[in-house]
Amino acid sequence: MVGRMIARRAHVIKCASRKQEVNWHQCCPELPVSEHGTAQISCLNKSKMRFTDFIILAVYIGLSKALQPDGLGLPVAEWRQRVSLSELSLSATGFSDSFPLSIDDSHCQALSENLTQKCNAFVNCTLRYAQPVGVCLNCYKEFYDYKSLYRIISLPDKGSTDNCSQILLKSDRLQVFVVFNDFFHKLWEESECENCVSDTVIKNDTLYFLNVLQITKSCFDTYQQPGNYCDVCKQCKENYSHLNEVYNKMGKNSSLCIDIEDMMNMTRKMWSKTFNCSFSRLEAVPVIAVSSFMLFLPIIFYLSSFLHSEQKKRKLILPKRAASSSNLMNIQEKKS
Amino acid sequence: MSNIMKKVSWSSREDDPGVAERTPLLNGTSRQFSSSDIFRIGRLSTVDLEDDKDGSSSELNQTEEIPHNEKLLSVRYESLDYDNSENQLFLEEERRMSLLGFRFLEFKRWLVCAFIGIFTGLVACFIDIVVEKLSDLKYHAVKQSIVKFTEAGGLCISLILWATLNAAFVLVGSLMVAFIEPVAAGSGIPQIKCYLNGVKIPRVVRLKTLLVKVFGVICSVAGGLAVGKEGPMIHSGAVIAAGISQGRTTSLKKDFKIFEYFRRDTEKRDFVSAGAAAGVSAAFGAPVGGVLFSLEEGASFWNQMLTWRIFFASMISTFTLNFFLSIYHGKPGDLSNPGLINFGRFEDEVKEYNLYEIPIFMCMGVIGGIIGALFNSLNYWLTIFRIRYVHRPFLQVAEAVLVASVTATVAFAMIYFSEDCKSLGEEPVEHPLQMFCKDGEYNSMATAFFNTPEKSVRSLFHDPPGLYKPQTLGLFTLSYFLLACWTYGLTVSAGVFIPSLLIGAAWGRLFGICLATSSNSMFADPGRYALIGAAAQLGGIVRMTLSLTVIIVEATGNVTFGLPIMLVLITAKIVGDYFVEGLYDIHIKLQSVPFLHWEPPPTSHALTAREVMSSPVICFKQVEKVGKIVDILSNTSTNHNGFPVVCDQEPKRLCGLILRSQLIVLLKHKVFVERVNSSLIQRKLQLKDFRDAYPRFPPIQSIHVSQDERQCMMDLREFMNPTPYTVPQETSLPRVFKLFRALGLRHLVVVDDENKVMGLVTRKDLARYHLGKHGLEELHLAQT
Repeated sequence: MVGRMIARRAHVIKCASRKQEVNWHQCCPELPVSEHGTAQISCLNKSKMRFTDFIILAVYIGLSKALQPDGLGLPVAEWRQRVSLSELSLSATGFSDSFPLSIDDSHCQALSENLTQKCNAFVNCTLRYAQPVGVCLNCYKEFYDYKSLYRIISLPDKGSTDNCSQILLKSDRLQVFVVFNDFFHKLWEESECENCVSDTVIKNDTLYFLNVLQITKSCFDTYQQPGNYCDVCKQCKENYSHLNEVYNKMGKNSSLCIDIEDMMNMTRKMWSKTFNCSFSRLEAVPVIAVSSFMLFLPIIFYLSSFLHSEQKKRKLILPKRAASSSNLMNIQEKKS
Repeated sequence: MSNIMKKVSWSSREDDPGVAERTPLLNGTSRQFSSSDIFRIGRLSTVDLEDDKDGSSSELNQTEEIPHNEKLLSVRYESLDYDNSENQLFLEEERRMSLLGFRFLEFKRWLVCAFIGIFTGLVACFIDIVVEKLSDLKYHAVKQSIVKFTEAGGLCISLILWATLNAAFVLVGSLMVAFIEPVAAGSGIPQIKCYLNGVKIPRVVRLKTLLVKVFGVICSVAGGLAVGKEGPMIHSGAVIAAGISQGRTTSLKKDFKIFEYFRRDTEKRDFVSAGAAAGVSAAFGAPVGGVLFSLEEGASFWNQMLTWRIFFASMISTFTLNFFLSIYHGKPGDLSNPGLINFGRFEDEVKEYNLYEIPIFMCMGVIGGIIGALFNSLNYWLTIFRIRYVHRPFLQVAEAVLVASVTATVAFAMIYFSEDCKSLGEEPVEHPLQMFCKDGEYNSMATAFFNTPEKSVRSLFHDPPGLYKPQTLGLFTLSYFLLACWTYGLTVSAGVFIPSLLIGAAWGRLFGICLATSSNSMFADPGRYALIGAAAQLGGIVRMTLSLTVIIVEATGNVTFGLPIMLVLITAKIVGDYFVEGLYDIHIKLQSVPFLHWEPPPTSHALTAREVMSSPVICFKQVEKVGKIVDILSNTSTNHNGFPVVCDQEPKRLCGLILRSQLIVLLKHKVFVERVNSSLIQRKLQLKDFRDAYPRFPPIQSIHVSQDERQCMMDLREFMNPTPYTVPQETSLPRVFKLFRALGLRHLVVVDDENKVMGLVTRKDLARYHLGKHGLEELHLAQT
């Protein structure tokens, strides 16, 4: 894996530094291949490099090699085990056709391929049911398949010797499988699918709701006439409010997921926008009357308290002070 | 001159006009101020001229009645004895104490501060939970009714239900305040400001006040008034501090016999400042802001250890609140609710501002200052009207109930006629109201009105752009401004912080939306402008600077926004001060409190102690006759609290100062020379006897002195303060003022070259002078 990274970076640097015409990839075998080495190279990650940086780097590598005479010594054995060197190609084009690298352990290889398939299936499904939202009810099987396989990989049985979890999930910086896994779980959590489906079956509440929804929809279809929706409003009101009740009850039990919310939203929109069945401000007069009466009360209150209440007066208290002039005179008299 | 001093009093006596006439005043001429008008003191000569004129023409026995106004000083308010009376008893006790004793005392101070923090946090937690429960119940009931009647028709029944529920809550709250403890009305911040300034507001730190305050604020917030529960928290913290530091409650007549050393004004006031800080800290989750609030508003003596203790109390308080709220929310240990008001977590795009936005923020500061000044002047006129005409308790209750029902009505009408609908599910809404919106949508006016004010503030800060239409916000700002202005000053306990924030957040968001539409979404996030608007509005109304900046920074949890908030607050304060004072200062003035500001009024250098002091002064001899002491103390018209003690032989030099409270304790224990000599008293009077009587010394009328005892003598030497502060007559007013302010004095004796008592300066003598429209003006003393 380290070798792969070196290959890629060497390519990047070569592209960036073509003007300097340094045949950079020749230095590569000299790079210390170790944890240490990864850290050193990561400073090359910047795509733009100037020539001076180059020299500094070269000096640095030389220096570290000098300090560490057996530069290649460290985990080469492991490296060889995991990456078949024959496929590590550092040709001038950067990448060979033989990517991806094959994994030595055939069991892990199989698992990896299997997991990829499951991922594909789930992603396909979610995208297909993205709008209108049907992710939970249509893709729960795919998600369950994927989830169980991933669990097998990540949590192998105790005592089993295979370390596919180590090889597939934890051996590089990017950890593609882990990123995808996190993403899938986040998607699943945010859509709150757990409320509607439990692993492989759709919950009863959800089925009941779907049933009620179906009845309402068929009612809509029956009475719907373009331009005249009065019938729909009248005939389907009962069904619609029953649906609302069911929905609200599910909201309280927290058994709503994105699919149901979306279906309900569509139905509501249809009901109040397309059919225009919602309430209108019919009786504004009583409200206005009561409000203005209420607003009138304070005026009466303040007027009456102004007219009838006795105004609060304060008794002044005369301060007793030695007037400045008298004191002054007093002192002057005394002095004289 | 010396014989005059014994006979005359140094203040007026309105019931007893004859005395003034009989009294030979200085120089043999009777002189009296007519205080019918406020005269200017531009320079000394002006004063003299007017004095002469007034003195010759005035009627001596004239007592005048005028309508209440802001230019009065009430005689009801006394000073705190912040300056310790270092009499012999005290010195003996201090000398007896070992170094370990002092260490233990310091430890007890820390302990008290910890308790202050814990109990303040608990009270805050209690208020928060009860308010949440009650308002949930209320909004749930109203929502049920609205849903029912939207379909069936007859929505005015919902309106009446809402108004009645509001009125019922507020009725309970205002009944408690009006009939049990009127001092618990309002936010309590003006009262605490006065207390920390050194004014003893009667009954302000009692247990009964705390109870009324806590339940009152619950009622008024649950009653849907345009108020917050944060201001009262500061008052509550202060009461808790005063109560705990005394180790007893006189309301319940329970003495725990602990912390007896702290039973005096000096210590109590220090603890009260810690309590106020703990209150701020619990209210806003802002411990540093709390400390700075105490610094800005209170404590004249500010030492490092006190600051550190106050900070400790604040931290404990916010932690306690946080901890218990986490248990309440079912996530023990998840410390994410540091304060009562929670501004919520700001997204990154809200926090990041650009340099070019700073001038815009300052413009918002100007707007905040202007709207704040408008708020304050409207509230000023309303408060004057209330003091003059709505002063009976049942009228006050009626007014509060009216405001509550009108608030509900206005809110209902706003929601009813609002056309602004948003679809459900974008943001979690606590009580979504559909009203006439389409199914699956809710009324966005209702998110602002159909909620407790704190939650509305939060949704204005955080809701995604485009949730509110500009007209909704405009209408909301206008109506809430009027409601909040009308509500503040009612006889309910309630704060003004949250309504100010809400008004500001609403117009700030409006401002942000207008900017975004006019400039191609360069100023994308209206939440940021809502925050700045809230800060500007709050600054424009209360005019606090340092502490408010830190409080807002801490409450938003975001230091990068410190600079804009500070600039906005400065701008708002400058602009607002140009028109009218801050809201709290207005209310302090209207309550006629002798408040000493940081600085003496400018242009007061022309005045000297001689003009300022009260004179002549009632003095006692070192060994004084009991009869005379009782007579002077029981004279209701001369309700003095400090008496200089003069030497027995001529010339009668000043040799000490004794307080009324000390004299009363002495009389109660009958510490007479004759009884001591005949060894009738088993033990010597100790400092403990004074502490036990603190802070409610019995009135003189309750102490019976027989005719025989009146002939006895009392030796004051042991109990008086032998080293009172004095100034010569020529000391300028600013100098006297600074001495008073910095040392927390209550009485300052003015002496001549021979150390003879010439006059006495008290807080009221200094607070009289203030800078009015026409230069230096003088306030009247009045009975309130």
